[in-house]
Amino acid sequence: MYELFKNLGTWLTSGAQWSGGDGIAHRLAEHLQYSLLATLIAAAIGLPLGLLIGHTGKGAFVAINLASFGRALPTVGLVVLVFLASGLSMWPVYIALVALAVPAIVTNTYAGMTAVDPDVKDAARGQGMRGHQVLRQVELPLALPLIMTGLRLALIQVVATATIAAYVSFGGLGRYVFDGLAQRDLVQVLGGAVLVAVVAVVLDVALAGLQRFLFRHRTA
Amino acid sequence: MNRRTLLGGLFAAASVPALSACAGGITSLDGEGGASGGGGSSKGGVTIGTANFTENQVLGHLYAAALTGAGVKATVRPNLGTREILIPALKGGDIDLLPEYQGALLHYLAPKATATEEGAMQNALTVALPAGLQVLPYGMAEDSDAFVVTRETARKYGLTSLADLKKQNGRLVVGAAPEVKKRQVGVVGLKEVYGVEFKEFKSLDSSGPLVKGALKKGDVDVANLFTTDTDIQANGWVVLTDPKNLIPGQHVVPLIADRKADATVRRALARLGNVLTTAQLTELNRQVDKDKKDPEDVATAYARRHGLLK
Repeated sequence: MYELFKNLGTWLTSGAQWSGGDGIAHRLAEHLQYSLLATLIAAAIGLPLGLLIGHTGKGAFVAINLASFGRALPTVGLVVLVFLASGLSMWPVYIALVALAVPAIVTNTYAGMTAVDPDVKDAARGQGMRGHQVLRQVELPLALPLIMTGLRLALIQVVATATIAAYVSFGGLGRYVFDGLAQRDLVQVLGGAVLVAVVAVVLDVALAGLQRFLFRHRTA
Repeated sequence: MNRRTLLGGLFAAASVPALSACAGGITSLDGEGGASGGGGSSKGGVTIGTANFTENQVLGHLYAAALTGAGVKATVRPNLGTREILIPALKGGDIDLLPEYQGALLHYLAPKATATEEGAMQNALTVALPAGLQVLPYGMAEDSDAFVVTRETARKYGLTSLADLKKQNGRLVVGAAPEVKKRQVGVVGLKEVYGVEFKEFKSLDSSGPLVKGALKKGDVDVANLFTTDTDIQANGWVVLTDPKNLIPGQHVVPLIADRKADATVRRALARLGNVLTTAQLTELNRQVDKDKKDPEDVATAYARRHGLLK
């Protein structure tokens, strides 16, 4: 066991391991690229959807159940399914990651919107605000903390799952996990896993910090 | 699931039940007093273990059918896992017999072994096996690694053997399981023995949906599959020949505990080995994988058809 951790330490810190096409720096950049792009796409889909159903109160039942369904989808299964249809491309990876991220964003956005006090909305309308004004100037600001939480959650899930890119021959930190398993190189597997965990934790802490900074004037 | 995963099982080594104490002790009820030295006896019946993939289970049931046909009581314990579980179970006496593959077993027992030809491997196996275990004569059927191209690719580049790949150095994309990148029977050996250099290596799966899908769609030019994969025939793919014997033979070979290896068992398994061809084994795999038939039924029907079982 001690030997294993010593080797892991060497693996993580050696300069040779960090450089080159199969180096940690490059794999890390790929991993972040997949994760951020997938989360952005998911946000572009999930935020408007969540805001719409939250604002109108229509279609909530369908949307929330669809989101739950999306959460239950096995990601690797989805990757293989899309792969067989699309062939060797990034489509399987992005579709699977986006499908993973959208539910968290939709449900949290919706939850944020429904948590806005109806009296506040009534007051806004009573002052003559139109629907889109209520949405932008009242509901959105009040729902923002929960919306941010949804985005944070989605990003962390995506970072942890982006290892599947390696399953269909692409890069990212999953490369170490899949190659290590196949080559029975436990140090490489652990190295990849540790890096993914560190990236997820660092991003989570950073986003939590950002959230606290942005909403520092709020009590709740 | 396939032969290669039998080598894997990174997390599987720990779970053999500790039933192993009585092997070779004075447990024999017929007064022979232990089994070591000389032939064993199959009188008490033979327990066959199989690994966690279709073909191995088919083979296990074929062994059982052949033994039953010879009057030996045979039990199959299917789907036990990988070599990390099966070999200790065999040594410990939980199972007595195991359908194995020459090259893969040799690589497991002696990772640095260089033999690739069947006879040499059989000898190397005999040397490498731990006391109490032996391999019986290998069968005709073989489940080896193959490098496969589509018929169009073969025609376009004039490919029939692995040596032909060299003419297209830097132009072809190869798809295989991740480990093949670092394996002798893979990118390393192809470069060393045949001077082949690929344009790119795509890490996919071993003879699974990904690598076959990529070959079908033309995303990879060369794919690493197993010779008993039914999709090779179904798609009319071309298996590149191996004139320099880079790829070790993977003939099916019975691995058995000395205590059970008597003349009846030997003869029954040799008879099976002499009739079962690679094409037939492929067809049996297909019946289980694609037609969803029961491995035992498939094996029994085969044994009946070939007079191994009444």
